[in-house]
Amino acid sequence: MKNTTPKTQAQRPELPQGFSRETLKTVAVIAVLVLAFTNFSEVIDFLVNILIFIYQFVGESFGIAIILLTILIRLITWPLNAQQMKGAKAMQDMQNDKEWQAIQKKYAKDREKLAQEQMRVYREKGINPFGSCLPTLIQFPILFALIPSITYAIGSTPLSILKLSNSLYSFQDVAALVPLNSKFLWMDLGLPERTLLFGLSIPILALTVALTTYVQTKLTMPPAANPNDQAAATSKMMSIYMPIMLYFFSVNYASGLSVYFVASNILSIVQYALMGKVNWRNLLPGGKKS
Amino acid sequence: MRKKLFFGSIVLLAVVLLSGCTGAIAWPGLAATDEVAYLANTTTVYAVDLKTGKELWSFAGEKSGFSLFNSNPSLFVTTPIITEDGLVIVLDSSNKHVMYAVDPNDINMEEKTPNVKWQFTEAGGLWIAPPLILGDRLFAPNSDGKVYVLDLQDGKSEKEAIEIIDISESDEEDTRLWAQPVSDGERIFVTSLDHSIFAIDITTYEILWHEDLGGAIPGGAALGSDGMLYVGSLAKQLERFDPATGEHEPVLDTQGWIWGTPVADGDNLYFGDIEGYFYSYNTKEQKLNWEPVRPDSAITASPLVQEDRVLLATESGDIFSVDHEGKIVTWYDVSDGKAYTTPVSAGGVVLAAYLEADYFLIALDEEGHQAWTYPGE
Repeated sequence: MKNTTPKTQAQRPELPQGFSRETLKTVAVIAVLVLAFTNFSEVIDFLVNILIFIYQFVGESFGIAIILLTILIRLITWPLNAQQMKGAKAMQDMQNDKEWQAIQKKYAKDREKLAQEQMRVYREKGINPFGSCLPTLIQFPILFALIPSITYAIGSTPLSILKLSNSLYSFQDVAALVPLNSKFLWMDLGLPERTLLFGLSIPILALTVALTTYVQTKLTMPPAANPNDQAAATSKMMSIYMPIMLYFFSVNYASGLSVYFVASNILSIVQYALMGKVNWRNLLPGGKKS
Repeated sequence: MRKKLFFGSIVLLAVVLLSGCTGAIAWPGLAATDEVAYLANTTTVYAVDLKTGKELWSFAGEKSGFSLFNSNPSLFVTTPIITEDGLVIVLDSSNKHVMYAVDPNDINMEEKTPNVKWQFTEAGGLWIAPPLILGDRLFAPNSDGKVYVLDLQDGKSEKEAIEIIDISESDEEDTRLWAQPVSDGERIFVTSLDHSIFAIDITTYEILWHEDLGGAIPGGAALGSDGMLYVGSLAKQLERFDPATGEHEPVLDTQGWIWGTPVADGDNLYFGDIEGYFYSYNTKEQKLNWEPVRPDSAITASPLVQEDRVLLATESGDIFSVDHEGKIVTWYDVSDGKAYTTPVSAGGVVLAAYLEADYFLIALDEEGHQAWTYPGE
């Protein structure tokens, strides 16, 4: 039997205030991610061509080209980073919210109900729980594409020059430029960096990556709102694991990537400093207490 | 606590995986005698029995000194060279820059690896070019812009260069030397990524001339039957040189960068470009034998010239057969992998080395049918 009951506005699920906009943002980010990852080789080609383009204008120094590209990416993603900081701050403030703390206590043993209540509070306060991670997610394709882009563009090995030739746009006549100058300071940017000191092979640049990552994570870590602050605990873990992970990454891959990591860390600190979000106290022993 | 453990485990896993990463820098190097194939593939050189496809031994370089949190493995991609004495010269293309001469007749049975007869550690850059043996001497071009000349008969286990021809001093540009030199008996001709070709006297080690081609030269030069030298470059041109004077002129424009070393066979010169075109140039008549054919993808390998055909490996992994009229057929259709390495004919089979495939090496019979793969299926 056909259901003839007319659909009315009242029967539709009611969307809470501000939900549509946030949902739209989330969908947009997912769409961008899907688009980027399904056309990943095009993203790589695009970055390779930008790198080569910059390289030609900076006296054929690939190290400078990488640093300038890093600055460019930082400028383009500035609004996203700002939004991420805003989202992180909102989430952190939430930890001090009395209603939030009350529902944590009240529904401590009922996870389903707790989740429902948390979503309700988010909606009421107009907070997107993914607000701090969506801007980060959208930068992932760029980061992932940068790794092969830098390796191909440097072209210090046969395979990378071959891949470079496949990536170049037709208007880029770089036959005369190849091989690109991969020397920067004491390094060959196409190879993992090692410096022989006292008979030991020391990866100075990889250590610099680890150090700057540690400093950057520490400086940009917001002070813990309370001892049970999960976001702060995660940030603390990140400040330990990220430097280790990036160190091993830098030890094994082309040093051009390490130059990117160091530049990116420094620029991140600068950006946070300009926005007044740097916690210099985090670097001091016992800084958290004050 | 559980969360910390989980997070830590993920990082640890990533670290372990990354530590093992060496990243391919080039395609495998392949050489063979009538009985054994020698394959330089990433961290190891393999000796494979041509009859059975079974591994005879492998060599992963000698253990290097301490390296902070990284195993710093060797990298082997350069075509192995077999000396008259039966030694196999393999080059470590990692940042250790070591050249080894290993003895296949002196195997450490416990580790199933050949003993090192001598090694050379003076080079300052990556080894990409296979060395050239002329009598008792070995000419080894390196990415540091130098050609190291070694005495093969001095009996030293730690070789010293008897001469270092510093090409990098003659030019301000980046003189990375990636191709095996060729010799006309009086001179060797060395190509460089700095767009130049150098002629060096093999007696005095003096650079006789060097000329710019307008594009990097990753491949080597070929001596034609007319006594002239033919060189291709990324400038998309085939150039002809007078080996005595260095006078040169472009003889053919190509569609793409010329990567592989051209192969001379009688009056014909065969080579491909990375746009996928394959050329047959008649040096006597100074014209193409037929319109360039385009199998399917980029060609970096030199062709393998056989009696009645030329075999051609392309980036797609397929191997094509081209007859003397320029008629092309697919000779071996591969399911996966990329073929950048020049095929080798030895012991009644054609060997092809692959990158990004389930196996490193395949042996094909005269009809293009698989005889075996290494590692086996």
